Amino acid sequence: MSRLELVDLGADVGGFRLGPIRLAAAPGEATVLLGPSGAGKTTLLRAVAGFLPLRQGSVLLDGARIDRLPPHRRGLGFVPPDLGLFGHRRVRRNVGYPLELAGAPEAAAETDRWLARFGLSHLAERYPAELSSGERQRVAMARALAAGPRLLLWDEPFSALDVESRDVLLRLVRELVEAEGLPLLLVTHDPTVTFAVASHVVVLEAGRVRFDGPPDRLATGPLDRFTARFLGYENLFAASELDGAADPVLAQGLRGAAGAEGLVVPAEAVRWSADPGRTASVASVRWTAAGWVVAVRDGRLVFRARAVAEPPGVRVGDRVALAVDPAACRPLGSATTGGGP
Amino acid sequence: MVDGPVPVVRRALSGVLAASLLGLFVLPVVALFVYAGGGGIVAAARDAGFRISIEFTLLASGLAVGLGLLTGVPLGYLLARHRFPGRTVVESVVLMPVAIPHLVVGIALLLLFAPSAPLGRLTAALGIPIFDSIAGVVLVMVYVGASYVVLTSELAFRSASPGALDAARSLGASPTEAFVTVTLPSAARGIVTGALLMWARGISEVGGFLILAYAVTPSPPWGGPVTSTASVYVYNLYGIEGLPGATSAAALLVLVALAIFVTVRLLDRTGFAWARGGWFS
Repeated sequence: MSRLELVDLGADVGGFRLGPIRLAAAPGEATVLLGPSGAGKTTLLRAVAGFLPLRQGSVLLDGARIDRLPPHRRGLGFVPPDLGLFGHRRVRRNVGYPLELAGAPEAAAETDRWLARFGLSHLAERYPAELSSGERQRVAMARALAAGPRLLLWDEPFSALDVESRDVLLRLVRELVEAEGLPLLLVTHDPTVTFAVASHVVVLEAGRVRFDGPPDRLATGPLDRFTARFLGYENLFAASELDGAADPVLAQGLRGAAGAEGLVVPAEAVRWSADPGRTASVASVRWTAAGWVVAVRDGRLVFRARAVAEPPGVRVGDRVALAVDPAACRPLGSATTGGGP
Repeated sequence: MVDGPVPVVRRALSGVLAASLLGLFVLPVVALFVYAGGGGIVAAARDAGFRISIEFTLLASGLAVGLGLLTGVPLGYLLARHRFPGRTVVESVVLMPVAIPHLVVGIALLLLFAPSAPLGRLTAALGIPIFDSIAGVVLVMVYVGASYVVLTSELAFRSASPGALDAARSLGASPTEAFVTVTLPSAARGIVTGALLMWARGISEVGGFLILAYAVTPSPPWGGPVTSTASVYVYNLYGIEGLPGATSAAALLVLVALAIFVTVRLLDRTGFAWARGGWFS
């Protein structure tokens, strides 16, 4: 059971400047570092691991500084983006590698235990090149845990997986993090992975924290413009755009979010309506994995509406009747960060 | 899907061109064996002087490859993993021996290591004479062949998973442990390929030996009689006996070289299962 704290941590890579970052991860808590490419997620992870020198700040594990220790003395279970499997070693000797290094007396039995736990026993004599992507991910995770770490650092471990394999591993990760009582720092750019595994989310942009809080707050609470865009919300309206006279429904939504700078209107909150009194012109229609997305122009505002069940069968230029559910709208603002140690 | 006329012509042309080159590689060797015949090769094998020169060549080339690995692998690692001022110059220097005619290599080394030259006097005083000695042969072999070890090692280290080293370090390996248990084995195939190329280059060398170590006198670790490298031995036979005498010895030399080359390549193709069965796997 370990607790991780990052206190004003900062690091530089070339011209990129990370931090200062304040963050705390409790035992058994999965902290997801979320953000687009170049946001500083991997830099943060590598700084915590000791692969990058710190510009400022400290890394504490159970209250003791570890940022002055070399990586191999920090008690890490690190999984790099390419998984870092040893191609010249069979699965058994990949998983058993940290136990071999430590000279563990029960190394063979312990290795078998981890192989069994990750469903790898039947693959123990194969080489990594002979495994599927999902199997390789499991080897990397089993090896990281076999090291007996005090902190798990995983960098985009699910990026090469299909959805089904990813979900199986996500379940396993959730169970393990709780069972082992370890803090996990998990880097991803995928909101789906985030909501599936996170007990704490940190959204990064250009080396700075844009959101820091529990996933339910990320799912339902106020969002700043960057985070909202990153999560895929397309209808972001500043308060000044939501003139009550021009758009009474949205103005009602804004009144419901007192103090907000504007509104995030999920595409799902915009519905087709039977009321012909409120119509808008269709600007574009496109198909996505989540359904049809129809952009409509309503006066000065452009909405994107999503129709999952029934393709709308509308064309550009058609006029359609709309209804917006103000209760499904979310406040847009800057007061979205918080938390920290 | 049926190929149209253009792809068929293109394939045929590629096939003819590739076959031409392969033919150029293989036909001279076939001619050598046909001309020498089984009896000629057996007779060459019975030539005690030639057998000694082959033994000497294998010893010298083994020492040269050992030295090439000892110095070339670290340099390949340095070039693959580190950025430093003058790196481009170092890379050019590594390639330089490949571009220099080998007679010139011999002359240049002779200028440095002739018995009357300062460095030659120094090495002789240290008990390692270079001129007409096994040390001279090894020196030429390292000069003309170590570039291959550096280049293939660099490539092997560069293509190794960058995450593997980080993973090893995070899992408790010190920098040395990570290098020995992860980096080096990952690059093993590339390093072996480089060693093999260097070895092949060394035993096929002639020009440098003619100048620096034509007649090799005994000096440690060579305790045999005065001899020469096998390639020089064949060259001498050609000068003395003409084609008939040289052909049989040349064919035997090719057989020995091919046997070693093919053995190592086969081990390489099986992914060093012999090594994996033990320490590496």
